[in-house]
Amino acid sequence: MPSKYMIHTKQTPHRFKAVTESGIIAWEEGCLKCAVCVKKGCVYGVYEDRGLDTRQMMDSIDNQCMNCLRCVQGCPKELIHKSVNPEYKAIGDSYWTPDIVAKLWYQAETGKIPVSGAGYPGPFSGPGFDSMWTDMSEIVRPTRDGIHGREYISTAIDLGKTPNHLTFNENGDLERDLHPLIDIPLPIIMRNPDFGSLSEETLKGWAMAARGLGTFMALPGNMITEALEDFRSSLMPLIGPGPQEIDKGNGAIRLLEVPWSEGWEKAVDMARQQSSSAQVSIRLPLHEGVEKKVISLVASGISIIHLEATPHGRATDHASLFLKDGIRSVHQALVEEGIRDGMTLLASGGLSMAEHVAKSIICGADGVMVDFPILIALECRMCRRCTKGLSCPVEIEAAPSSWVASRVINLVGAWQNQLLEMMGAMGIRDVRRLRGEVGRAMFFEELDRTTFESMGKVEEGCELE
Amino acid sequence: MTSDKKPVLALFYCQNTHASGEDERQALEQKYGDSLKLFPIPCSGRLEPLHLLKALEDFADAGYVITCPEGACRYFEGNLRAKKRVERTREMIKSIGLEEERIGFLINSKEGPKPLTDLADEIMDRLANLPPSPVLGPSVQGRATGSRQRSKGDKV
Repeated sequence: MPSKYMIHTKQTPHRFKAVTESGIIAWEEGCLKCAVCVKKGCVYGVYEDRGLDTRQMMDSIDNQCMNCLRCVQGCPKELIHKSVNPEYKAIGDSYWTPDIVAKLWYQAETGKIPVSGAGYPGPFSGPGFDSMWTDMSEIVRPTRDGIHGREYISTAIDLGKTPNHLTFNENGDLERDLHPLIDIPLPIIMRNPDFGSLSEETLKGWAMAARGLGTFMALPGNMITEALEDFRSSLMPLIGPGPQEIDKGNGAIRLLEVPWSEGWEKAVDMARQQSSSAQVSIRLPLHEGVEKKVISLVASGISIIHLEATPHGRATDHASLFLKDGIRSVHQALVEEGIRDGMTLLASGGLSMAEHVAKSIICGADGVMVDFPILIALECRMCRRCTKGLSCPVEIEAAPSSWVASRVINLVGAWQNQLLEMMGAMGIRDVRRLRGEVGRAMFFEELDRTTFESMGKVEEGCELE
Repeated sequence: MTSDKKPVLALFYCQNTHASGEDERQALEQKYGDSLKLFPIPCSGRLEPLHLLKALEDFADAGYVITCPEGACRYFEGNLRAKKRVERTREMIKSIGLEEERIGFLINSKEGPKPLTDLADEIMDRLANLPPSPVLGPSVQGRATGSRQRSKGDKV
């Protein structure tokens, strides 16, 4: 049995003060000068040692406040208020919400699973992955000594075509496998995000993280500079439409990606000529009727297909088609054709939380490609200033590569832990067995239909909120 | 700081004031670049003299505050408090020999509220001829160092 795969995380503090959800408004004028002030009674000592970070004009009280509201309630003159921080509200957008971004920051800093305290404050249903509930039945019978105990839960996946059967030669020896497989210890591949204030150091940090984790970092071929030479075996070059030199350095590229186009065969041939040992993945944007394309690609011998949704997890042509539904229908179509094991399905776009990894796999993906979370791990606020030529508020480009690597390893470590927790709760011991296990999840739309369809249709405008 | 460099303004503004969202903020940043540092605050009453003084000490030639109209504060009297604090800060910098105009505030109008971008333009125009701050000295760069500094006993 191979040694257990563990991601070693270590506390890596922010370079800038994190933006807090709320701010204290404490007025001094009109103070009664009580002998026992509520500020002195703060159990966290927030008011004791105040400091001001002038770079962002952030008061230390906001970062230390735990929102117990004792001071707000206790002040006899009601001089203390709490208010939502406008900077916090400005983070991200409708999909990459401030709460999601702040949780990713926490995971990148600590490498730990974010715990929200008693109860679950999140949504019980909603668009996309939120309408999926996963099985937690085995939580009543946890493993003998915990998720990290002697029972081994594997998160490893294979990239490539797994053989349907083994063939032996006359001597009874196993014949060499014609389709080499790439083994990665976790179902997550990192991918260069669409925007970001990046520097060579950032890319090097990501490559270091990919090597440390044993996975890949996907990035455009022209971004692979000499500084990344040492990391070639952990890089996954994304080949552009035009002719490109990819294998100019030493050390072999093991995996590369070609975008789907009408003449994809030519592009794949060219890529294979330049880098004969590499596996080729084809990136296919998620759209209505993508199943047919996937089936024809697999029939033509493509063994890795990457289904790409928009950064909000939707299809490129239909905003109502979510990644999870896209993965499900592609998986189902491949199963019906009997060719599911002949290929590896990767999914990307809008994967913003650890649960999305497990949910994508339940829907039928083998693994996922994660893009923006590895940028948010570097304190990105998703403000998109860099796309407008403005300076990055957290100067990501100036971050040293060791810090970048450490933050990303922390984030992926926290995600892998959550995957282990979920699989432990489902009683599944291998992530490859989780693929397409829709019986391990409930889907809101299906429950809604099976429960209420017989009762007739709700007229438009009369829906319950 | 060279004399031909534009003055740097630290502009604090209440998030509840008219048209002061992220779009306006980014538009202003695009227009003025490094010579304008914007700090949205939950309420202008949150501002303390320390914020303005620290800004002057670290990177800014001037520090201004934009508040809601009188009687329109979400926290009832935050803007009135801000006004008094700014006045007091003006006196403080005057007593140490700095120009009064380095600190100021702008109250948004109740009848015809202006967007943040207009108000910021107004202040930038007002400051166009402001000489570089002697506090920053020739060697200080336009950016703050960001080191967390204790301010105990420094409060109002």
